[in-house]
Amino acid sequence: MLETIRSIVSILSYFVLPAILVGFPLYGLIKGVRVYEVFVEGAKEGFEIAVMIIPYLVAILFAIGMFRASGAMDFLVDTLDPVLGFIGIPAEVLPMAIMRPLTGSGSAALVADMVAQYGEDALIVKMVATMFGSTETTFYVIAVYFGAVNIRKTRHAVPAGLFADGVGVIASVYAVRLLFGG
Amino acid sequence: MLNYIWAGLIIFSLVFALSTDVQELSTDRYRNGDAFEVTVTFPDEYDAEARRQPVTVDLDTTAFQSFYPEAPAPEPRYEGQLVQTQDGNQIVLGSGTELPQPWQDMRDFYGDETSDPIRAAAQLDAVTGAVTQARLTFEPVHFRKLNDIAAAGLNFAETAASLALGLIGVLALVLGLLKIGEEGGLIHSLTRFVQPVLRPLFPELPKDHPAMGTIALNLLANVFGLGNAATPLGIKAMEDLQKANPSEETATNSMVMLLALNTSSVQLVPPVLLIAIMGLQVNELVFSIALATACTTVAGIAGAVFLSRMKRFADSNPMNDSS
Repeated sequence: MLETIRSIVSILSYFVLPAILVGFPLYGLIKGVRVYEVFVEGAKEGFEIAVMIIPYLVAILFAIGMFRASGAMDFLVDTLDPVLGFIGIPAEVLPMAIMRPLTGSGSAALVADMVAQYGEDALIVKMVATMFGSTETTFYVIAVYFGAVNIRKTRHAVPAGLFADGVGVIASVYAVRLLFGG
Repeated sequence: MLNYIWAGLIIFSLVFALSTDVQELSTDRYRNGDAFEVTVTFPDEYDAEARRQPVTVDLDTTAFQSFYPEAPAPEPRYEGQLVQTQDGNQIVLGSGTELPQPWQDMRDFYGDETSDPIRAAAQLDAVTGAVTQARLTFEPVHFRKLNDIAAAGLNFAETAASLALGLIGVLALVLGLLKIGEEGGLIHSLTRFVQPVLRPLFPELPKDHPAMGTIALNLLANVFGLGNAATPLGIKAMEDLQKANPSEETATNSMVMLLALNTSSVQLVPPVLLIAIMGLQVNELVFSIALATACTTVAGIAGAVFLSRMKRFADSNPMNDSS
C-alpha cells in the first residue's frame, strides 16, 4: 500500500515540472494570449527581484558565516546537549538541528559527513537526513522571500519558522524511531 | 526579533573568536618563537650550493606531543624541501598533504588554500652523510579565529551575491510563465479552485485574490521537491501578497503564513540535494520525511496563527490601519 503511493508520487513528480513548463504556454495559446510578448514582459522582473534580494541575503549570510567560522556552533552544541538528551534526542544529531535553519550547504555537508562516518544504515544518519528533508533553511527563505518584496519588519516570521524547525527536529527523531525501530 | 538574532550572531561570533584566541595565546598553543628539533634526511646527496632541494623530515612523536601538549599523535615522517634564502635556511612542509595539528591550523592561518605549504626557519647542524638535525621555528600565529571570522564574513557576502544572481534565470523563466498564466486566466481559475482550502489559512486576503493561485503553485512545487521552481513561485506569491499589503516594509499575517508553510512544507519527494548525498538509500526515508514534514507543517501553521494573535505581533499588523 505504502509502496504504491510512493511510486505514484514519484511518477507524478516527473510530470509536474514539464506540465508547468509546457502547460502554461499551451494554455495561453489556447486562450489567445500573445504568449511570447507576455512571457518576456513577465520575465523582465526576474533580474530586478534577484538584485533586490542581494542586500537581504548578504546581511543574513555574512552573519551566519562569521558565526560558523567562530566555532560558536560547537559551543552551542555542548551547552544544549544535556537539555536535548533529556527529551530523548541523541547528541549526534544536535549539530544538524542547529545548522539546518542557518545554512543549507553547511547542513548538507553535515549529512555527507555523517554518512561517511556512520554509514547510510545508521539510525542517527536516517534521523539527520530526515531533518534535512523535512525543514528548510529558514533564514535563507526569510531573506529571499521578504527581500523580494522589500519587507524589513518580519514580525513573527522568525519565531514561527524556528518553532516549526524545532518541531521538525523532534518529529524526525521520533518518525525514524517509529519506522525503523530502535 | 530578526534585529536581535542578527546582532546576536555577529556579537557572539566576535566574543567567541576572541575568547578562543586569548585561550590559545595564554596556553601558547603555537609555541610562537620556540624552536622544535627534527631529523632531516637528504634522499639525494646534500648540496650546499642548491637553492632548493628535497628533504625528508622525521619527528620524534613523543617530543612533538610534549612540545605541543594538546596535539594528537602525529605521523612521524613528512616530505618537504630545504630552501636557502637570504635570511637563512627554510624548510617547506606539507605541500598538498596533511599536516599534524597544530601545524594544520597554522597553515590555515598563513595561507589562503588549505593545501598551501608552511615554511619554518631552520637552523641546520653540520650535515654528516645525508642526515642532520634541524631546529624549526615557525612564523608566530596570533588571533587566528579573529582572522577566520573576518575572512568568513567577506566570503559569505560574496556567496550571497552570487546566490542571488544565480536565481535570475529560473526566476525570469517562472515569472514569464506565470504572466502567461495570469493573462490567460489560469491563475484566476486556480485561485477559485483552491480557495476553499487555502482561505482559512489566509483570512486577510480578499476573495478571489490571485495570490491564492500562486501560493497553490508554490506549495505544489514544494510537495514534489522542486526546490528550483518553488522559490520563484514563492517569490511571485509574496509579490501578490504585497499587493494586498498597505505597508511598504512590514509583513502581513498572510506573508508570515506563506513563509511558515515554505520553511516547513510537506514534501512527498525528498530534495534533490539529499538524493545526491545519499543515493538510493533516500527511498527508505520518503515516509519518515513525509511524516516529519506533516508535523512541521502543522506546527508552522499553528505557530503562525498563534503568534499573530499575541499582543505584540497583533499590534504591529499592517492590516490594522486599513480596516
